[in-house]
Amino acid sequence: MDQDRRAQWLRGALDLCILALLATGESYGYELSQRLQAAGVGAIQGGTLYPVLLRLQRAGLLTASWREGEAGPARKYYAISPEGRAMLSGVIGEWSAFTGAVDAILREAKVR
Amino acid sequence: MNSNSNSNSSAGAGAGGHDRWCAALSAELRRQGLGPELVGHVVAEAAGHLRESGDAPLSAFGPPEVYAAAVAESVGGAARSRRRPWRPVGPVLLEARGIAKSYRRRTVLDGVDLTVRAGEVAAVVGANGSGKSTFLRICAGLASPDRGTVRVAGSIGYCPQDGGTSEHLSADEHFSLVGAGRGQSRSAGRAAGRGLAAALDWRPDSRLARHLSGGTRQKLNLVMARIGEPDVLLLDEPYQGFDRGTYLDFWQEVWRWREQGKALVVVTHLLGRLDEVDTVLDLTPAPAAQGATR
Repeated sequence: MDQDRRAQWLRGALDLCILALLATGESYGYELSQRLQAAGVGAIQGGTLYPVLLRLQRAGLLTASWREGEAGPARKYYAISPEGRAMLSGVIGEWSAFTGAVDAILREAKVR
Repeated sequence: MNSNSNSNSSAGAGAGGHDRWCAALSAELRRQGLGPELVGHVVAEAAGHLRESGDAPLSAFGPPEVYAAAVAESVGGAARSRRRPWRPVGPVLLEARGIAKSYRRRTVLDGVDLTVRAGEVAAVVGANGSGKSTFLRICAGLASPDRGTVRVAGSIGYCPQDGGTSEHLSADEHFSLVGAGRGQSRSAGRAAGRGLAAALDWRPDSRLARHLSGGTRQKLNLVMARIGEPDVLLLDEPYQGFDRGTYLDFWQEVWRWREQGKALVVVTHLLGRLDEVDTVLDLTPAPAAQGATR
C-alpha cells in the first residue's frame, strides 16, 4: 500500500479513531498506538500520535492525568471528555455518509 | 532516564541514545517557546513511549527539532496566546516624529513616525536601501535627521548590523568596557556579559574579536547592547550568521525582554515574525502612504 496515501487518509481519521478508542475507556499513548495497529490502520509512530493527542487535549476533547504505572515511572492517561463524546457522536454519522459516498463511487468503477 | 530490560533489547536504541535525544528534545521545545511544565510532560511522555516500545527515537519521533516543531504546532494557539495577550501599559519610551533624511539628492526617509512603549516590540521592515539602518542610527543618536525629532525616555542599547566590535579585544574586554560605560566595575561588566552570552548558547573564551566567526561577533554585539539593562533596545538585524537554533533563542529573548517592559525596535527582513510584534514600520517606498501600521 502506498504509504503516502495511507498517511493522508489517517490525517483525516486519526483524531476520530483516538476519540473512539478512548470512548471505550481511558488509555495512554503507547497502548493507543498498539490498539490502532491491531485494528489494522497501520503503525502510528509516536511523532504522529502525541501531537494529535496534545491537540485534542488542548481543544478540551480529551482530559489527561499522570499516574504511576504498576512498575516504572508515571504514564499520561487520556480520557474522553463530555465535549469529546459530543463531537464524536456528531461526526460518526458524517464520517459514515462520507465513506459511504466514496465506497459507492469506487464500487461503480469496479463494475464497469 | 531509568533503563530497564526493555530499553536494552533493541539494537542501537540504548538508554544513552534515548537520554541524548530526550535532552535535545527538551532544548528544542524550550526554543519553540513552550513553558517548562509542558516541556517536562512532553519529554516524559516520549521517554515513556521509547522505553515501552523499544523503538529508536529517530524512527519513532524523528529528529528532536522536527518533533518539537510538530508539538509546538499542535499547541500553537496556546503557545502563541501567551505572547499575544500581553498588552503594553507602559509609558512611551521612544518617540520618533517626522524623521527625514537625504543622502546627496536621494531621499531615504521622508516623514517617518514611530512610537514604542515599554513592553512593546516594533519591527522595522523594508527593501534593501529603504533606510532601515539609517532610521535606527537616528533613533540611537548616532546620526542626525535633516528634519524631525527623536525623544527617548531612559537608556539605549544599540546593536549594529555588523562592525561594532574591536578587532584586538577579547569578548571579556568588550564586556568590561561597555560595563564601564554603564558605570559598572570591570568584573560586574564581565559577569553581566557572560550571563547574557549564556542565554545565546555562547561561552566566550579568550580569543580576540577578529578571530570570531560572523555569527559569534553578532552575539558579542547583541550582548554589548544588553549590558546594563537599557530601557530601549535598538537591534539592527542582530541575528545575521546565527544558526537556526540561536535564531530561535534570539526571538525567545526578544519576547522575554518585552515582558520585562523594555521597548524594542528590531530591524528585520523576516516576515514570519511580523504577526507576533506589536508594531510594524514598513519603510518600503510606496506611491501611497508610508509609515507605521498596526
